[in-house]
Amino acid sequence: MASRSGESEAEEEQHRRVPLRERPEWSDVTPLPQNDGPNPVVPIQYTEDFVEVMDYFRAVYVADERSPRALALTAEALQFNSGNYTVWHFRRLILESLKIDLHSELGFVERMAAGNSKNYQMWHHRRWVAEKLGPEARNIELDFTKKILSIDAKHYHAWSHRQWVLQALGGWENELNYCTELLEVDIFNNSAWNQRYFVITRSPFLGGLKAMRESEVLYTIEAIEGYPENESSWRYLRGLYKGETASWVNDPQVSSVCLKILRTKTNYVFALSTILDLICSGYQPMEDIRDAIVALKTTDMDKQNNDDDEIGDQQNLNIARSICSILEQVDPIRINYWIWRKSRLLPST
Amino acid sequence: MMNSTEEECCGREKMEKDVHVTFLELMYYLLPSPYESQEINHLTLAYFVISGLDILNSLHSVAKDAVVSWVLSFQAQPGANADLNDGQFYGFHGSRTSQFPPDENGVLIHNNSHLASTYCAVAILKIVGYELSNLDSESIVTSMRNLQQPDGSIWLVLQVYVKIYTPNDMLEWNYFLFLNFLIYVGSFIPIHTGGETDLRFVYCAAAICFMLDNWSGMDKEKAKDFILRCQSYDGGFGLVPGAESHGGATYCAIASLRLMGFIEDNILSSRTAASLIDVPLLLDWILQRQGTDGGFQGRPNKSSDTCYAFWIGAVLRILGGCNFVDNKALRGFLISCQYKYGGFSKSPGEFPDLYHSFYGFTAFSLLEESGLRSLCSELGITENAATGL
Repeated sequence: MASRSGESEAEEEQHRRVPLRERPEWSDVTPLPQNDGPNPVVPIQYTEDFVEVMDYFRAVYVADERSPRALALTAEALQFNSGNYTVWHFRRLILESLKIDLHSELGFVERMAAGNSKNYQMWHHRRWVAEKLGPEARNIELDFTKKILSIDAKHYHAWSHRQWVLQALGGWENELNYCTELLEVDIFNNSAWNQRYFVITRSPFLGGLKAMRESEVLYTIEAIEGYPENESSWRYLRGLYKGETASWVNDPQVSSVCLKILRTKTNYVFALSTILDLICSGYQPMEDIRDAIVALKTTDMDKQNNDDDEIGDQQNLNIARSICSILEQVDPIRINYWIWRKSRLLPST
Repeated sequence: MMNSTEEECCGREKMEKDVHVTFLELMYYLLPSPYESQEINHLTLAYFVISGLDILNSLHSVAKDAVVSWVLSFQAQPGANADLNDGQFYGFHGSRTSQFPPDENGVLIHNNSHLASTYCAVAILKIVGYELSNLDSESIVTSMRNLQQPDGSIWLVLQVYVKIYTPNDMLEWNYFLFLNFLIYVGSFIPIHTGGETDLRFVYCAAAICFMLDNWSGMDKEKAKDFILRCQSYDGGFGLVPGAESHGGATYCAIASLRLMGFIEDNILSSRTAASLIDVPLLLDWILQRQGTDGGFQGRPNKSSDTCYAFWIGAVLRILGGCNFVDNKALRGFLISCQYKYGGFSKSPGEFPDLYHSFYGFTAFSLLEESGLRSLCSELGITENAATGL
């Protein structure tokens, strides 16, 4: 096993693992060797320690020994392979049989998480413990996930667990504020934006998407104006109108923020694609938007379709085509996509 | 005139197939000690090596008969009197540490067979050309039903029961807990003793049913409904309903829908607006995953990572939108993650690992790199292996 940094040789000697076969409390157990079969393929170069721990684990597992020493052994085995679901499951059986106070188990998981927290089995185990503890686990779990998120604000497992806690145990009251705090630290945190959506759509204390839309639109527009290159805020804005395309198309605030960004002539890619999507959903841009878009065209772009010459559907089509042309230039990594979008434009859009 | 450094650089622009083959062959013969921490996923590691060699058109390095007997030795055999609806899953174990022999009466009292390991087992068998009709697929498929999360209506009945008979202080919590189950209806747990439930295992189940050509193992409609509930407001898919949209989860969603027959081929070229999923929104989200460094990220505002070149690239292949990717830029990113002595790392300048190496190979296959075999995106094996030719 790797040595801990900064230790002298003497200190390392003290920390060196004592093999199970040398521990008196295990002297009555005969370890069960692994049966790898006759012609193992892709064999693993096991270390001696790994082999030994798993041989002893096999013995207690087969004997179904649910004792304190078996519990300690599962912890040791998990150090070698934290994803081993057989070991985790057996640990749960022991915890139940011994009626161990599950609060201490929460501590065990927390210590494990300090080592490596990107482990599905560990989080499943945490959830199992929390389920058993019931409502009293609520604040502990919210605090625990908050701690993990303070180190890694986009930690997928932590967010999943937090969402489960809110739905199973409650605690919604402060969640929207928590999202706001996280976004103040990093407005680009897509996980926090997602959690915002989760809260406004599912919290039993808020009125649901429609009721929250107005305030959330204002919040999001401010975020967009601050950092128009932030994909998360644009997607969230669109998400606020999920299932109600007409509301999205007809809300002047949406086109208004696009216009504002277009006029700055910087970081306008999402503003342009939003207008494009709006047009494809029936939006008919007014003169100010059309002018702002035309102003972004460079001399080599197709100036043939001069918007002022046309009206109605053809005018909308022309402006949509112009948007695609601009995007082909300013978002070149997706040039083929914008060319394809242009080819799909129909007069009725 | 090129000096030696320039030659080195130009040489490095190549996908060094031969070096990667050697890398995989070395793994095939012996996985280094650090991999023991992933021993529980031994079959998955084997899948990366064997499928990887196949993609690199070097399956000749593999002793196919030895692979077949090794993989089959992981199968959880139901005893003669076993009831396939006893709640257990009779699939494949993923490793020796989770596998235990049946008792003296032939009863498998320790059954740790796992859905993901079963997917890997069947995939490997297919790759090495094993005739799958020789497999006891009936046991696998019938018992797989025990892993799918139950019908919502059962929980509604239980809710009423719980409201009447539970002591007041636990009442609300039990109610929430049961309501919670409704979220997961249609999804799969990986192992009957319990585990997390999410899109990864819906994918494994669908892929297994597809490869075994037997859909009695799952309720496709319920699975589809679960998948649809996983589509986020931004068009991507999260691992469970409400979760942040993520490249890997999106792959599981789209590949599953395709395998189950709910998505037609080349859906982007069709003009019909009606579709199970919001395709335009998904497409826009997916394409935005390509960053200025050419690589793909798994979620908005995160850094590029080699493996997403497969998760995202494969979704585009399934939808028919491969040409919307800037392939040259992607290639550049992947090459920057290529390790001189074989394999790919997660990001430029890091050491390679088997997982990122495998997905690097699949990504190059999707880029139609010469010398590599073409990939069946939905199954994660070569088309050759998928069609059994």
